Amino acid sequence: MATIENAHFTTLKGAYDTETMEATLKVRRFDPETAKSRFDTFTVTIPVTATVLDALDAIKDTCDGTLSYRKSCRMSVCGSCGMRVDGGAALACKVSMRKFVEAGHTITVSPMGNLPVIKDLVVDMDPFWSKIRAIKPYLDTKGADTPAKEWRIAPVDTALIHKESLCILCGCCVSECNSMESDPEFLGPAALAKAYRFVGDARDQDTRERLRDLNGAHGIWDCTRCYFCNQRCPKGVDPRDAIAKLGAESFKEGFTGDEGAKHAKVFVDSTYKGGYLRETELVPKTIGPVNALKDIPFALQLARAGKVPNPLTPHKAKDNDEVKRLWKLLEKEAKGQPRRATATHPDAVQEG
Amino acid sequence: MIRHDVIVLGAGLAGMRAAIEAKRAGVDVAVISKLHPTRSHSGAAEGGINAALGNATEDSPESHAFDTVKGSDYLGDQDAIEVMCREAPDDIYELEHMGAIFTRASDGKLAQRPFGAAGAPRTVYSADITGHVLIHVLYEQLIKYDIKVYEEFFATRVVVDEGRCAGVIAWDTQKGGLHAIEANHVILATGGVGRMYYGTTNAFACTGDGMSLAWNAGVPLKDMEFMQFHPTTLKSNGVLITEGCRGEGGYLRNKDGERFMVHDAPNAMELASRDVVSRAEWREIADGRGVDGCVLLDLTHLGWKKLKSRLPGSRELAIDYAGVDPIEQPIPVRPGAHYQMGGVDCDIWGETMVPGLWAAGEVACVSVHGANRLGGNSLMETIVFGRRAGQATAERVLEQGDTGARIEPAALADEDRRIAGILNTSEGERPGVLREELAKTMYDKAGVYRTGEALLECQEKVYELRERAQKLRLDDHGPVFNTDLTMALELHSLLECADCLVTSAVARKESRGAHSRLDFTTRDDDHWLKHTLNWNDGGEVRLDYRPVTITKHQPLARSY
Repeated sequence: MATIENAHFTTLKGAYDTETMEATLKVRRFDPETAKSRFDTFTVTIPVTATVLDALDAIKDTCDGTLSYRKSCRMSVCGSCGMRVDGGAALACKVSMRKFVEAGHTITVSPMGNLPVIKDLVVDMDPFWSKIRAIKPYLDTKGADTPAKEWRIAPVDTALIHKESLCILCGCCVSECNSMESDPEFLGPAALAKAYRFVGDARDQDTRERLRDLNGAHGIWDCTRCYFCNQRCPKGVDPRDAIAKLGAESFKEGFTGDEGAKHAKVFVDSTYKGGYLRETELVPKTIGPVNALKDIPFALQLARAGKVPNPLTPHKAKDNDEVKRLWKLLEKEAKGQPRRATATHPDAVQEG
Repeated sequence: MIRHDVIVLGAGLAGMRAAIEAKRAGVDVAVISKLHPTRSHSGAAEGGINAALGNATEDSPESHAFDTVKGSDYLGDQDAIEVMCREAPDDIYELEHMGAIFTRASDGKLAQRPFGAAGAPRTVYSADITGHVLIHVLYEQLIKYDIKVYEEFFATRVVVDEGRCAGVIAWDTQKGGLHAIEANHVILATGGVGRMYYGTTNAFACTGDGMSLAWNAGVPLKDMEFMQFHPTTLKSNGVLITEGCRGEGGYLRNKDGERFMVHDAPNAMELASRDVVSRAEWREIADGRGVDGCVLLDLTHLGWKKLKSRLPGSRELAIDYAGVDPIEQPIPVRPGAHYQMGGVDCDIWGETMVPGLWAAGEVACVSVHGANRLGGNSLMETIVFGRRAGQATAERVLEQGDTGARIEPAALADEDRRIAGILNTSEGERPGVLREELAKTMYDKAGVYRTGEALLECQEKVYELRERAQKLRLDDHGPVFNTDLTMALELHSLLECADCLVTSAVARKESRGAHSRLDFTTRDDDHWLKHTLNWNDGGEVRLDYRPVTITKHQPLARSY
């Protein structure tokens, strides 16, 4: 073995050398004893490589030890430090401070939305976890003959749930969810992404029951498709895409009764037939003709504002055949997509 | 009074695996954790989990065991290593049946990648987020089996009643207040203690709480001088870049572009054992062949396709925390404290010398890692020995019934006074300041290379810090989510563990595995082929030794 030349050397010179910078942060505080909120502004000296979390640590160590926030891994995998930075949810340990300091910008740090605040930046995650529990978040093989070794699954089939498997349950998507803001009982993007992780799993045999439950009240069709969850997810899970996949799987299983499902179906049928969305058909076909009558006053209000197209004109695209050809092409391309993954019992595999 | 048959402290992989096994066996088990289970640091494990499945090439548990014994520099107990390597394959299959999303080979079997010092591609993985995938699959099972979790409860004391474990006293972080939670059996699964070092891959939560709890309950800590330094960690915050990068073909280069491992391990090169690679890096940096205090992990030749499919997490970490995209540029890395091979002394079922107190995972020292752990063996240890501890405690409950051990009201009152004393102190130093002083001292004086002189200086400093920590200034005196209190409690755990580490290191006058002394450069089997035990003697460390269990493999010179 090669010997060390500097035999006295137990300490690495320059091990702690780092450039520093001065950063200012505005932090939302909440005192549980007085139930009062306020903003505090702090200025700290931090390394140029520091993240928002490092800046909070510097505040805690040197300015104000009463500041509370959750943290653990500081490498964006444990999901503890979800909070809002300048109004949008993020992991504090993943956001670099440098660009803010260089721009002379004072960031505002506040707790995640849609969850009750316990203290400062700490929120009560219980409502979040109960929704995760509500989607039956574990594999159910329904007593299939468990093999002695691993189930055989083609790499392409495990890839189907790759994005959903990246979820760290940090809550950033839930913090920004618009549907949850109006319906706190909405299952929400994190739980639904988790649900697709099982629906798309080759080994899970509970697909139909899962989809039936997800088509119930506060389920997949309550998503407003604002895409804030996709935008704010720090791990690239794209929960809205998972919800769309659950919708497609629901159609395959014949779960089309929900108003949300019907609404989606009108879009499909109407654009296929005429190349355009026939908005006058949208409401009655979604909520039924009787209920639609109740919405007439609202429709008139819209009409007065010039927001209703003439219901009598055919409302058809010029070259509708081209639209249909496009549809056929799409259908062909998407045949079987998203495909159903399959797992094979190792005993059933012919070893080559 | 809250009461359960079995309490598991900690909800990482070992803790959750233990709880699931005990629950399946039909006993009343609860988990207490200072974090929500999925926040545990097991989730940060990247590269994979070792089991001789033989999916990639021919392999056997015997070969796995030999590699582990050799990797341990012959300090690992061979009976424990045989248990782990023999039981590993079935535990992997069970994880797969639970729903773990592992990377697959083209034939649909579990893929296996090469890892350091392993005779075959033996590491089962899920890209480079294996720990994440496993922590979530076990959390799913925790929900499936409806296991009670005391979330964000910080255990401050393991209570021993007439020599038997009686339960724990824990602080409710969310609401404030101490609770006595009785159980005849307590399984410690609280993980490691890397936060005593400045450069560390470990999470903020890895503060040796379970080691400190056991030590104060009268159980010795074993082989604490063996702290593993991982060769590839980032300078800015210590974050781990997986060994899988080298397993997939990455090179280590010095500032001249030379693959310097040729001098240290001409055969295994970058895939030599971690202690060997860390020492080589340290030498390159110390001798002026580093780049800004680092060496370079070069993945540029692997191509973007491989980086994106096999190592996407490492790429994300390098971009976020080192500012380099490894597709285009090498990543500056250096050794950082990664894994405590030592820990709570226990047998191959996890039981300690205090009846009813058990340990599993990194907190424990069975010992399967000896003086140096192989990459991929720690995740396997958590699953095998977590399961065994869960099974053994359940069997004990069903055989013995109630042992009669109780937490007396006086014990709770004493602990209440102690915690109130910490909580209400407004004069002294801030816990974070002392922690940083400790961490720099340890990194500088008890790091990859050690000398008697530096270790003695380190020991003096640890004594001084333990003294100064008697008076800590807390700014927060309230009951609700008081992280000032958590940091103070964690600092005490860190200091006790640091004392054990440095005291053991001063005494061990040889170089073995991760303990490399520049004043005693060779392994000395005649005097030091033995485990170190650290007893708590009125708050001071008292050393003791125990022979190593050797079954098949007599110590040989170790080269890669």
